[in-house]
Parts: sequence; structure tokens; C-alpha cells
Amino acid sequence: MAAAAPVTTFATAGGATLSPDHYVDVAYEEKLRLWDEVKADPRFPDYLYGCYECGICVAACPSAKFYNFSPRKIAQAAAREDVELIFEQMNDDVWNCSQCFSCNRCPRQNSPGGLITILREVAVNNGLASSKAALEGYTRIVYKIMTTGTQVSPDMLQADAFPDWGPGVMEVSDNLELWRKALPPETLHTTSMSWQVDDKTLTELYLIWHYTGVMDLIAEVDEGLHMIILDVMEETLEEAGFEI
Amino acid sequence: MSDRIVVIGGGPAGLEAAAMAGRLGAPVLIVEKRSHLGGAPIAESYAALTHGLQSAEELMGKMMAAATDLDRVEVRTESEVVAMSGTGGNFTVTISSNGSEETVDAGAIVLATGFQHFDPGRETQQYGYYEFPDVITIQDAEGMLKEETFVTPSTGKPPERVAFIQCVGSRDRQIGNEYCSKVCCGISSKQAIEVRQQVPDARVFIFYIDMRMYGYWENEIYWPAQEQHRVNYVKGIVTEVLAKNGRLIIRGEDTTMGRPMEVPMDVVVLAVGMEPSPGTRHMADILGIATNKYGFVETVHDVLDTVTTAVAGVYVCGSATGPADLDDTISSAGSAGAKAVAYLRSGAEVPA
Amino acid sequence: MTSIIPIESLRMKPRPDPANAPTIDIRETLFELEAAGELIVHRVPEPYVEVMTKYGRTKRIPEQMTWHHKSCGQCGHIPGYSTSIFWLNRKLGFDYVDPTDQTSCTAWNYYASATSNAAAQAGVAMRNFAAAHEVGYYPLIHCGTSYGHYKEVREEIVHHADLRAQVRDIMGKLGKELVMPEEIVHYSEWVHAMRHRFAELQVYDLSNVTASVHPACHYYKLVQEDAIYDPDLYGGERTATVSALVEALGATVGDYSTFFDCCGFGFRHILVERDFSRSFATMRKIEVIKEEANPDVVLTHDTGCVTTLDKSQFAAQAHQRNVGIPVMSDAQFAALAMGAHPYKVCQLHWHTTDYTALLEKMGIDWEKAWIEFEMDVARIERGEIEYLSWEDAGV
Repeated sequence: MAAAAPVTTFATAGGATLSPDHYVDVAYEEKLRLWDEVKADPRFPDYLYGCYECGICVAACPSAKFYNFSPRKIAQAAAREDVELIFEQMNDDVWNCSQCFSCNRCPRQNSPGGLITILREVAVNNGLASSKAALEGYTRIVYKIMTTGTQVSPDMLQADAFPDWGPGVMEVSDNLELWRKALPPETLHTTSMSWQVDDKTLTELYLIWHYTGVMDLIAEVDEGLHMIILDVMEETLEEAGFEI
Repeated sequence: MSDRIVVIGGGPAGLEAAAMAGRLGAPVLIVEKRSHLGGAPIAESYAALTHGLQSAEELMGKMMAAATDLDRVEVRTESEVVAMSGTGGNFTVTISSNGSEETVDAGAIVLATGFQHFDPGRETQQYGYYEFPDVITIQDAEGMLKEETFVTPSTGKPPERVAFIQCVGSRDRQIGNEYCSKVCCGISSKQAIEVRQQVPDARVFIFYIDMRMYGYWENEIYWPAQEQHRVNYVKGIVTEVLAKNGRLIIRGEDTTMGRPMEVPMDVVVLAVGMEPSPGTRHMADILGIATNKYGFVETVHDVLDTVTTAVAGVYVCGSATGPADLDDTISSAGSAGAKAVAYLRSGAEVPA
Repeated sequence: MTSIIPIESLRMKPRPDPANAPTIDIRETLFELEAAGELIVHRVPEPYVEVMTKYGRTKRIPEQMTWHHKSCGQCGHIPGYSTSIFWLNRKLGFDYVDPTDQTSCTAWNYYASATSNAAAQAGVAMRNFAAAHEVGYYPLIHCGTSYGHYKEVREEIVHHADLRAQVRDIMGKLGKELVMPEEIVHYSEWVHAMRHRFAELQVYDLSNVTASVHPACHYYKLVQEDAIYDPDLYGGERTATVSALVEALGATVGDYSTFFDCCGFGFRHILVERDFSRSFATMRKIEVIKEEANPDVVLTHDTGCVTTLDKSQFAAQAHQRNVGIPVMSDAQFAALAMGAHPYKVCQLHWHTTDYTALLEKMGIDWEKAWIEFEMDVARIERGEIEYLSWEDAGV
């Protein structure tokens, strides 16, 4: 895991330190190019106005209580256009954010969480090694959401995946088929999807991924995953009469 | 052509404008909605004024006398202007008092309807003013300080820890009040000193974004608060106020130290900012004068003429034009009174 | 010193004046866009209940004819959550659709991994909205994140003409129109609007039950202006959703000092960096709640919050931490109070933290109920019935 080590006690900011060697340094021009890509996002002007360092975002932020992480520093670095610091954050801090958007309380109406969404997207889009590392172990989820249109399926409840959730997880997985059938809603008798989704609906979803360039993004993160998803999609789309 | 000047509002701005115009020889009629003169400092029971630290009652008393001692100055309290017609030099003003209406002629009008304190129920943080009795506003604090009974409202006992939170309802895009209210840093610091004097064992904290203590306020209030009265200034605003086991708890970031903070408090004072009073909004409509996006009255030039409106013969002063301290208010009110008289004498605007 | 209290000890917050709202009412902008032929606004069907939102505006909550936009986390891992929402609808005799022409909002993945973009996210939202409009039922969003994310999408669609054009074009290729609901409605708002009707059908007395409420960040922080507030609850300073239900059912709201804190879900953290989620959920929420309010149950109104607050307690209990409060949704709690079966409907066997003490306090014989459930499961196993039906669930 490339992100800064989580601190599971109440260590406040300063408790954890950045490891200097967990991401690849690049030339200043490349950092500037990435920053320009962040600024070019149409949402950027709505997410950053300016920052007078009141700290409201930090006190509201769950991640700031456990990591060496500060939404104020994200906003400050962006406001100052500190390209070096932004690159560092893009490789590290952004993956600590909980995306709860408690920081949206900002009196300047900044959204540090929204900024982080864009920073992450640019990191993923450009295949930064740190983003691949941060998403390690996550490809299963991406595969699930992109191919089934539902994210967490009942069969993901496996004891080895959630050892800290107690024996109930194993009980669920042992009884999964039966317990899913013991659900009155007709749409929930599924095990590999959260609910029953029509083929037509999946076709439409795949077309959305295709038309919005999401598949190219996946190729940046994980070429293998990209191939697998593409296979599933192409088959469905061909059956529905679409060529992509 | 009428030589009378109608001054709407009998607070510090209206009193100064009336006294100035009266001294220059014009007949003046002050129309005041409340039952008394003196404006917010009297209505809201202000203790010592910021700055100068003199009694609000005493200073307002002096101002009232300066205006009303003049034979040419008439006062209608519990009265409101409900209509205006005509043009500069020949206005007809309709005044409603206790359900009956009368019309008076006026050559010029001075609007001095002031501000109201921001309602902390509209803040975008979570400070719980309507939820916790021990969360109060600076004007609530003034009332207690005036009586020298600064206590924790829920217990009636002197507090051990008091926090002031700055910029409540000011400098906030979420609320729509992007401006600084100018006076709250000074008032909070003044109150912090008074709390320390009245409750010497209390620890007092001021949580701020930027302390705006310009000019003489710096060495008159800010430094003494730190140096003589040991008020703690923490750069970082409070995010939320909740209760833990019956005592308030505040959360924020100490941005200088770069760490989140969670500390108990007995009393939390919200330094609420200024907004145009309902009277200012309403009178601007009746007089047909422009207001800015916040509802404060606009003048013809924001630097060179801070009192003349775009309607010939109508002047404005004090906090009806935007956040203002008492010094600013008195200065602009004198100017408005004088310009109104000059307009009547010459029949033309005084060039900016 | 005299103890004069010069301020009112109880200040009643006036109902906020919508004229002072700091934002433009986005519904007005939607109707303008509709008049300009840019999109279709899906009207809230009658009858609806009017509730007050943060700035004093009125929001319409449809009673029925709802299109249930399900939550992947609820359906996948806490199926009693979704089932209870449907059960409540059936109990009131309401017409609704549980669609198969629905995808997840995909925002969980988006907030976790950023492997998507604004156009794709808007495309997914608008496809679902169009699907609901086609069958004439109104979207009711089960997940707090979907709800918050769709409101973000609404802002983007309204304010960025380029994005609007791009998504309209994509919808065109799918043979769909660009449709935006007049209101984006969370199921917990529907629960809130129906709470007094639930109370009329209540079969258990909850006067000895204390419930603490965790409000979902994506419900009231993500786009804050159309969350429900009530001047009579918390002085109008906190969202009234869930807490108002607790009061309506005659239980006590147990307050605590970290009410506004997140649950610690973290999207990617709950899946791949769970030490953060676990620590936050237990140390900042459950332990504080237990110490200060010691309630019988923690109620919340979002998928991630139920999961994180419930599941995180197991490891903390193993470390002898002061935890051990059952967690469930407002919908499950209301259904239980109205006599829903704890296993056939509320599906509490999918939950981790022990809930039996709560059921006993409510007067529910959970041991008998479990036997009934196991008998049904056995019937399925023997092939006597294929699935548990709504009839089996009593509605």
C-alpha cells in the first residue's frame, strides 16, 4: 500500500510522516501538465475559490483525525498553485480522503473533497504508479460495477475478505443461496449481483461507459482488467446489435 | 420648496445628522420606529462602546441631547414613514403613528435606519444557537456585561471557560454575506476584556480567521487583551458546537499548530455580523433608492461620496450603507446632514 | 453574583424565510430549462407530503407511485434494509415499482477509485431517471450516496451546458430523453413524511427504548440545501430526518457529542483500508454514543453507515472496547415497531452486533421468530416453495 501508513490511534496531524520514496518523481513540466489538467476540469471553478485558512474543513474531516492529512492543505496548495506540493498530494494525500464531503461546509464554498475527486481522476487518467498502488485489491470492485451495474454483490461476503467482521460473514456465505431465496422482494434472489438487472439495462450502461471514455481510463489503471471488461461488454453489445 | 429635513431613524446616525442639519439652521423632523431614541446601542443594551470603552447609555444620552435641545429639531417616536412622493425640494412624506397617518412636506430626506445583527440560525456551521442556552451572541453578552452579571445562562454561575467565535454570518459565501462586518473583532476583544474583569478566574478564548483591529484598535484593545488581560487568541475557526455530558464542546482546527482541537466550554459567544435592518430594506423601497446585493443602500460614489443617493435630495448615512463602526457612522451622518442642508440652500447636489 | 439569566433559556428558531435563501432554487432553473426545450422535468405525483428543507423551502415527497432506486450495498449485504422499505410501502397499501431496469449510481466506485468521470456519472444517473419516467413512476433513492451524488449531477447538468449537451446526446443514442426529477427524494425523507402513519399502525410500545441517530454525510452535507429540517427538532439546527421518526414512534432520542462526525466508511477504506473505518466507527461514534447516551440501538439512514457502524464493532469487542450497540436503518426500526418479522422482513441475521436485547425490550420474541424463519428456509430447501413471498412476510 503506497499511501501513508494509517494511524489507528488518536494521533493528530504530525503523527504520521510521509515516506519520501513511495512515488516516482517526474520533471517539473510533467507536474505542471497534470496540474493544468486538474484546472481544465469544468468543475474546478466550483470547487476552489480561495482559502483563508480558517480550518473548518479540518475539524469536520474524519481522515484528518487518523492520517497526516489536511483538506485545508489541499485547498491551500491548489490556491497557491504549488505544483510540487500538488504532485506530492496527488500521489499520496488524496487517497486518504473519505469522500464524505464534510469539508463542503467551507465558508468560501470550496469543496476540498471535490478537488480531491478531480486530483484522483487526473492521477488515474495519467496512470500514475501511486494510483495503481492505491487501487490494488480494488479491481474486483471495478469489474463488478462496470459489468453488472451493481457494486457489492452478496457473494463478495467471504470470510477471508472480511476477517474482522466476525463469524457472521461465514454464516452468510455458507447459507447464501438459501438466504437470498428467503427474501420477499423478487429482484433480490441474486448472489452475484445486488439485484436482478435487465440485459437491455446493461447494454445501455456499457454504451455509457463507451461513449464517455471510461474504458480508456480503465486501460490506464489496469490493462488486464480492461481486457476482461471489454470482453464481457463486447459480447453483450454484439448481441444487442452494437459494434464498438 | 420646503426647507424641512426629514431624518428617518433616531439612532446614532440619525441623531448626528439631525444635530448637524439643525445647527446649520434647518428645521428637522426625526421619525423613529421605536419608542425611544438611541438606536441599537440602547435597544440592545450595549455596555461599553467599541472603541473608547465609554458607556453606551451615557454617550447616546449626549447625542440625544445635542439633537433634541435644538428648537428646530422635532421628534416622532413610534412612527414610521409609510410613503413618499414628489421630488427633491418638494417631497411629501406620509408618517404613520399609532394607527393615524399625517403628511409632512420635506425638502430633503436623510435615511439612517441602520443594521440588524445577523441571525445565527442562518449560519452554515453548526453552532446550535437555537439548541443550547449557553451559546449566545455578542449582543446577548452585552446585556449581561452591562448588568455585570456575566454567567453561564443554563446554571446562573460564573463560567470557567468562554469562547468567542468570529465571522459568524460574515465573510461567508454559503450564506451570501461575503463582506467583513468590521466591528466584531473589536467588540469580541472588548467583551473578552470585560469578561476577564468581571470573572477573573475565567479563561477566555477568541477563535478567529483574521483579527481585524485596524488603526488605534490595535493598541487600544487587541494588545491589552493579550498583554494585560491574558485573552487567548487562536487562529482557526470553530466547525461545530455540541454538548457532552451537559457541557458545551467545541471543535475546530488550531491552524497555527496544525492540529484539530476539541475543548469544553461553558459559554460560547457568537460574533454575529451586520445585515441591513428590515427598516433599511423597506425604506429603500419606499424612497426608490438602489441597494446592493446584500440589501445595503448604494451611494453615488463608493469613495468620494458615501452619503448621496441617486435620488436627488435623498441622503443616507451610518450602517444603512454597509457595516460601520460608531466613528464611521458619526462621520458619515454629519456629512449627510450638512449635504442635505447644502442641497436645500443651493437647490443642487454638492459635487462629489 | 445574582443569577439573572438575561436571555431566553428557550429560543424558538423562526421558520427560515426562503426569501433569504443564499442559493437559487434549482427547481426554478429546471423549469426554465424545460421551457427552453432542454430537458423534461419529472413532476412529483400527487398525493404528496410537503416538508421543510434547510432554507425554509418546501419539498414535495410523493406518497406512492414510487420507482425504487435500490442501493447496491443494501441489497447486497443488508437486504433487510431494502426489504423493510418495500414492506412499509405494502403495509400502507401503496403502489410502487421495484425495477430491474435500474443500475447502481456507481458513485461508491467513483468516490473510491476515480475510475470514471463526470459525463459517465451523469449518464448513469440520467439513464436511471429516464427509465423511471418511461414507466411513469417517481424515483425514490434508497442510498444516501446515490441521493447526494445525483444532487451533484443535477447541479452539474444545470450549470454546465456542455455536459448537458453531451449527456443528452448519449441519452439520444440510447433512445432516451433527458429527464430530471422535480425533487430528488431519499427514502428516509419518505419515511419521515410517513412517520405519523407508521405510528398509527405501530404494534409495540417503544417508550422504554432509546435510539441514537447517526445522520448520513451524503444526505445533509454533500448538497445541503434540500435536506429536511424542522424548527421543533434540535432548534432547527440539525437535520430532522430519522430523529423525527424516533419521536413519532414514541422512543427517546439519545443525543451524543459526535453527532456530526462521519461513520468512517471512506468508500475505498471500507474495502481496502479498513483499519481506518473500524477505528473511526468505534472510537468516534459507537464508544462515544455508548458512554454518553447508552442507547438500545443506533439508527441511521444510509447503506455505508449501517455497514460501518455495525460491522466494525466485532473487532472492537474482541479488544474489550466499550462497544456493543445494534445498528439498523430507520426503515427496519419502523417496520419492527409495526410488527414486521425480524428475520423474514428485517433480515437481522445479516447484521453483526447483537440485537436480541433490543428486540426483547421492544417485546418481540426473537427466538420464536428465528424458528419461523428457519422453517421457511427449510421449505425452500425442500423445494416446497421456490422463494419466500410477500404473503409469507405478512403483506
